[in-house]
Amino acid sequence: MNADALIIGGGIHGCSAAYYLSKLGFKVTVLEKDWVSRHASGVNAGGVRLLGRHPAEVALSKASMELWANLDEELDANTGFLSRSHINIAIDEADIETMNQRQAEMHSLGYFHEKLIDQKELRERLPAIAPHCIGGVVSEVDGYAIPYQSTNAFRHAAVRLGAKFIEGSVVHNVRKVGENWLIESSQGQFEAEHLVNCAGAWADKVAIMIGDNAPLSFSAPMLAITSRMPQFISPVVGAVNGVLSFKQFENGTVLIGGGLKGFADRDKNQTRLDYKKMAANAYHAADFFPIMKTASINRMWAGIEAYMPDKIPVIGKSLNADKAYHAFGFSAHGFQMGPIIGKMMAELIVNGSPSLSLDAFNISRFEANKV
Amino acid sequence: MINSYDIAIIGAGPAGMSAAITASEAGAKVIVLDDKKFAGGQIYRNVCNSPIEQVNALGPDYLKGRSLVERFGQCSAEKISSASVWHVSNSGEVLFSKEQSTTKLTAREIIVSCGAMERPFPISGWHLPGVMSAGSAQVMLKSDGVVQDDAVFVGTGPLLYLIVAQYLRLGVRVKALVDTTPKTNYLDSFSSLPGALNEYPTLIKGLGLLKEIQKSGIPVYKYAQDLAITGETSANGVKFQSGKQSYNLSCDHIFLHQGVIPNLNMTRSLSLDHHWSEQQLCWTPTLDSWGQSSATNISVAGDCSGIIGAEGAEHMGRLVALNQLSKLGIIATDIRDTQALTSQHRLLRFNRLRRFIDRLYRPKEDHRIPTQDTTVVCRCEEVDLATLRQEFERGAQGPNELKMMSRCGMGPCQGRQCGHTVSELLALWRGEAVKEVGYYRLRSPMRLLNLTEFSDFSHIEPTRATDTSQVQIQEVTR
Repeated sequence: MNADALIIGGGIHGCSAAYYLSKLGFKVTVLEKDWVSRHASGVNAGGVRLLGRHPAEVALSKASMELWANLDEELDANTGFLSRSHINIAIDEADIETMNQRQAEMHSLGYFHEKLIDQKELRERLPAIAPHCIGGVVSEVDGYAIPYQSTNAFRHAAVRLGAKFIEGSVVHNVRKVGENWLIESSQGQFEAEHLVNCAGAWADKVAIMIGDNAPLSFSAPMLAITSRMPQFISPVVGAVNGVLSFKQFENGTVLIGGGLKGFADRDKNQTRLDYKKMAANAYHAADFFPIMKTASINRMWAGIEAYMPDKIPVIGKSLNADKAYHAFGFSAHGFQMGPIIGKMMAELIVNGSPSLSLDAFNISRFEANKV
Repeated sequence: MINSYDIAIIGAGPAGMSAAITASEAGAKVIVLDDKKFAGGQIYRNVCNSPIEQVNALGPDYLKGRSLVERFGQCSAEKISSASVWHVSNSGEVLFSKEQSTTKLTAREIIVSCGAMERPFPISGWHLPGVMSAGSAQVMLKSDGVVQDDAVFVGTGPLLYLIVAQYLRLGVRVKALVDTTPKTNYLDSFSSLPGALNEYPTLIKGLGLLKEIQKSGIPVYKYAQDLAITGETSANGVKFQSGKQSYNLSCDHIFLHQGVIPNLNMTRSLSLDHHWSEQQLCWTPTLDSWGQSSATNISVAGDCSGIIGAEGAEHMGRLVALNQLSKLGIIATDIRDTQALTSQHRLLRFNRLRRFIDRLYRPKEDHRIPTQDTTVVCRCEEVDLATLRQEFERGAQGPNELKMMSRCGMGPCQGRQCGHTVSELLALWRGEAVKEVGYYRLRSPMRLLNLTEFSDFSHIEPTRATDTSQVQIQEVTR
């Protein structure tokens, strides 16, 4: 079975790359060891957030936001994307100081999408908020989408353009035969000219097969969702000082996240939650929104996610092999970037260079860190 | 340092109570957590504290639970009632809620004995207000002495006949019994009848209930099929075919029942191995003959290990406890084996009876697997058959993919009411065996958990400090 490009990993970046590559006329095969969207791409908090991005990510994230705005139309699917704004909440002077510094940094880089708001405006935007919250910062275009549906939207759109998805195929071995890559998997051999590593929390293993080292770690960020509540909040919210992340979906359920970590066993595809930590986090939500004291938690879970030491992803060409590419290690904020990363990967592979710079994300940055 | 219990038992029905008695008499540090105010499980609910004056009307099988509940009350196991266990992990951690706070404990061995639940009955209109399960009629009766006049009872199985008989004895007006046991079941079950004859008295009692109902003069419609519950916003009647005749009974209260299945939310969220039982048409934890699961420290006893009935559960609870006592080094293996003989023998005989009962009251396929597009499969999220088929055809081939695309099984019941239906539906659509399809991956909490009670977090441990050097090998006295 031959393809122009073979993608390892059926998460949002793999599916998005498959879609944009197919759109440029490439014959694409995606190998997924479990099923599409089984891990972080399917079970994350669904935040589509530009606010608070790492400076290196802002340009890509802004471009991705433009894609999100028309994504349902582009993919002829329902990603559940809603633009609701995202507000990070300040509770003290230290938070205000953090916000001011960030604001200065963004302005110096020429970015003006993050807007500071005072207590009065905060209360207008979030009537249910606790009195001790004194201000915040908002990004108007932000919102949320339904992760599993979004990832599958890319997949189905790619399939309509001819891409093949092979689920349940574990990659055992990757090697160069002449100009091509030969991939041996539990579902047989595949050959392709280009090889794309979108393997998420398993991407360091694939990188090694390709010939690159990636200092990836993995963990299990925990989430909880409540049963349906009366609508009390429209924007997605976070806390300036840290770990709260919080949104209410259209159906009234409230998702509580914040990046607290449970335990991941990636060889077994299993996660274990730290309930005591989760309990403290859940109560934190009630600090900001007293109505949450009456909330009932319906489910708690964790996904297996990849983290890089500098908290920004690896995106771009392989350091040591020709016609191999990486897009992984999004460190718990990759979902929003899904559309643009797939597009940039397709441009990189088909045209040789992407329309937006990926230089900050090259895997070579870890080589420079000599002991 | 936090001290561990030797054995934590989840559920104080016949299996849990019997395990607790056996284990605590042998000297193990045992804790029993039960979500009811009084021990007894569903079957012996409130048997020592009945709100009903004519409690004899509930029958001898109910009343005989008194002695077990009393012995349980007297045994030295620590008992926590009104405690709702919402997380158990195979590392031995148990989290439960009681009085608006969360408590954690750890135990070397865990017995899951959280009983059975009624099999979903996903026919057209089953989700409408006014439709309840026959089991809930019994809960209302046993807990609060509340009954419902002029209801129609629909379905099959011993528990259905029992509640109808109990109603009639108490003088409650019953509008009709619509019996869905197919005629062919009587023939098909005949071959397993000889094995069941060892438990002759139980058999006779079961048949006696039906006779009692027929003698009472209430309408009994046999071999009913093509069932549908009518009504727009609430139930106003039930339609069916019996013999060559169509019926349309108008009624505001309908009680459905077609047998019970293991209550699996705990064993599933523990990721224990399960298999599909063709005999009982349900998922069942995979256990050895001592009730030991695929997790080394977790055993399962009673109806949540596969339906075995109250007496069977009591014997199994004893076996599981004996095995755990020997694993803990509290009794020797040969003592375990000797003490187990009677219960093992009784269980064998119950299982033969069970084969007969399971065959006789095997629910019809179209009462398990919905056929109408508009029939609701997931009641929590109101997902109907047509929606599921659409997502299946778009590529959601497994229960988890289907859940993520349709929200079927995402509500507060965590798929208890739709899990089996979805497994069987997907098997049918894929043309494969149910065991190939699998079941939902479940998440804690096992019930809705109030945020305030969740965040008030503490732990408990045995009152006496554990000192393993003091543990002596001793015989279980009973």
